[in-house]
Amino acid sequence: MALSATQGERMIRNFNLQAKRFGVLTGSLLGGAALYVLLMGNVAAPELADASKAALRSASGAPQLVAVAPLQAMDGEMCEWMPASAESSLLAALQQDRAQSGAVPARSTASVAIEREPVRQIRDTYPTFSAIAQDARTGDIFMQDENLFGIRVFDRLDNTPPNAAFTEPKRYLGGHNTKLEFNCGLYIDPKTGDIYSVNNDTTDTLVIFEANAKGDVPPDRELRTPHGTYGIAVDEGKQEMYLTVEHTNAIAVFNKYAQGTDKALREIRGLSTHLADPHGVSLDIKNQLILVTNHGNTLEGQNPTYGKFIPPAITVYPMSAKGDIAPLRTIAGAKTMLNWPAHIWVDEGRGEFYVANDADHSILVFGIEDQGDVAPRRMIRGANTQLRNPMGVFVDLQNDELWVSNMGNHRATVYPRTANGNVAPKRVIRSAPQGKIAQAIGNPGAVGYDSKREQVLVPN
Amino acid sequence: MAHPQIAVFARLATENSQPVRLLSGQKTRLSRTMHDVRYDEVNDEMLVTNPFARAIMVFRGGADGEEAPIRIIQGSNTMLGDPTRYAGGPDRVAVDAVHDEIFVPDGSRVLVFDRKANGNVAPIRVLEGPDTRMDNEGTLAVDPLNNVIAVAQDTVTAGSAKMAHILIFDRTAKGNAKPRGEIAGPKTEIIRINQLQMHPPKGWIVAAQPGFIDVQKPEGVFIGVWHVSDNGDVPPRWKIGGTAKSVMLKPRGVVLNPKHKEIMVADMRLNSVLTFYFPEIF
Repeated sequence: MALSATQGERMIRNFNLQAKRFGVLTGSLLGGAALYVLLMGNVAAPELADASKAALRSASGAPQLVAVAPLQAMDGEMCEWMPASAESSLLAALQQDRAQSGAVPARSTASVAIEREPVRQIRDTYPTFSAIAQDARTGDIFMQDENLFGIRVFDRLDNTPPNAAFTEPKRYLGGHNTKLEFNCGLYIDPKTGDIYSVNNDTTDTLVIFEANAKGDVPPDRELRTPHGTYGIAVDEGKQEMYLTVEHTNAIAVFNKYAQGTDKALREIRGLSTHLADPHGVSLDIKNQLILVTNHGNTLEGQNPTYGKFIPPAITVYPMSAKGDIAPLRTIAGAKTMLNWPAHIWVDEGRGEFYVANDADHSILVFGIEDQGDVAPRRMIRGANTQLRNPMGVFVDLQNDELWVSNMGNHRATVYPRTANGNVAPKRVIRSAPQGKIAQAIGNPGAVGYDSKREQVLVPN
Repeated sequence: MAHPQIAVFARLATENSQPVRLLSGQKTRLSRTMHDVRYDEVNDEMLVTNPFARAIMVFRGGADGEEAPIRIIQGSNTMLGDPTRYAGGPDRVAVDAVHDEIFVPDGSRVLVFDRKANGNVAPIRVLEGPDTRMDNEGTLAVDPLNNVIAVAQDTVTAGSAKMAHILIFDRTAKGNAKPRGEIAGPKTEIIRINQLQMHPPKGWIVAAQPGFIDVQKPEGVFIGVWHVSDNGDVPPRWKIGGTAKSVMLKPRGVVLNPKHKEIMVADMRLNSVLTFYFPEIF
């Protein structure tokens, strides 16, 4: 519709008049909010925020209250005093830096010791669970904590209510004397209840405690192990203990009662084995098989060897294997859904095995005879499952329950033995408040700083 | 440890803060026991190593989730993985964004790659030989302004007779070149060095000393600062020691944030990252 010049001028005048009225109204609201704040004196932050909202805060080109936050605690941190003569231009500062870089600053004969508190600390104050096992005699659940270094023991029927901060363990084993540090494998002797805990790094020592050990006690027995051990399985009939070794792509078999610097009875190791950063290990005694999960980091070539990535896999060997032997069969490929498979557990009664599938937040179930690029026959996966970075898995045969330790959310989750799909757990043992995601920092060997995003990079 | 990942936190993150990004999963090709991570500000890239698969991996600076590296250096031509090195390698990496080079300390040698290298590529330079005095070197940093690299040994066990050193070479050194400086001796208090950083504007070498590798709570841990001109048995110019106040127990990683005059320290025994205000060195 076309407008005449007179109509247009009238509309502009009306618009200006309305804008002035709106300006007066907005100014009154802002002034009223400010007056309220002044009169109320020591107003709390939420009230200030509400007042700001009530004032219809919008871009004005002038300073505005946008947030209220407490000052962070500081130790020694303050603005540097700058002499009046200090250069303030960026170019001058750069030139100064360049000049300084060529000069050798004078040094004293002793260090200047800086005695200072950190201004901030990134850490998780709750346990993160790398492995889980059960005392078959009592039903008690043992969880390996890799964050605070210990083993927590719970009743199998514990179930943390949603509004509870966490469940207290029945007992706790941890402290400097225990030598527990970055441990990631657990085995409980079914007859004696002795606790076997595998060290993944730093101490290179398998520690064994008597069944009722608690507190900061030294191990009853120790075995020096290869660097980078991860999984543990025991053949109680032959009294032999199987350990996976990440660094050498090997399975080391020890006498179950080995101690000190006792050597392995035999090793499965070599390029033919296709062991590639092996993690979990489990035994099928009935069929005399060793099953191993592999992340896929490996070596190739001879003199010299060099690195190679291969797909994640389950490799299967005869229990009599030793040396550089090829696997009997391999499960690998896109259909398998394997994604950083961690611990593994053979259910001989059902002819199946369970895989804690870390990076896919799932539990995969395969048949003991499966091989090649095969889909899991069952899978627990989805938002209802509460799975997050599952690392440990086992079946409580007496109670037909499948147990999982989750490294990503501070909890163990329990399912029916044959659970399938996006199923909620029957029970949960939680060691941190509901909704708390684990930082999962583990043995940080380095730190980086993304100066563009002002972010801290922490690799495990 | 049992779970490989790179967790990314806001600079002001504190106790129980959630990561703002988490890089993990099969496609990332990360492994556990990553002992270095470097951010290349010029090219907005992040570099890490996979020692088990003898690979150097480069990610987008903002990589997140199960994201694949954009470049990987790996294979028979790379020479990565000195067979004499403890527990294999490569463990650490450094990037020089000015001269477009990647440095890898690898036992008795230093390998230098083109920064944009991808795949099974040979190093463009190798520093190696008896005159270099290198032996089981596991950490390195590069200073493109003063044109030096600092190389150090990262593995010393309790009871060892010989402690580690820091060797300083010309940045472009190759072959059997001699170091221009060697910082070693009792006054240095060096046992072994883990992550190394340089602050080129002032010529500082900043080192994380975690004490003996096989001791859970070792004595004599500190973050030490030397100058690129230092040589011989000289103490660090500054040090933040493992005291009740600093709470440091076993510092393995260190990185600098010049803008805020901070250093960040990765402490393995605490499973945490500590940030110290450290204006003296900036």
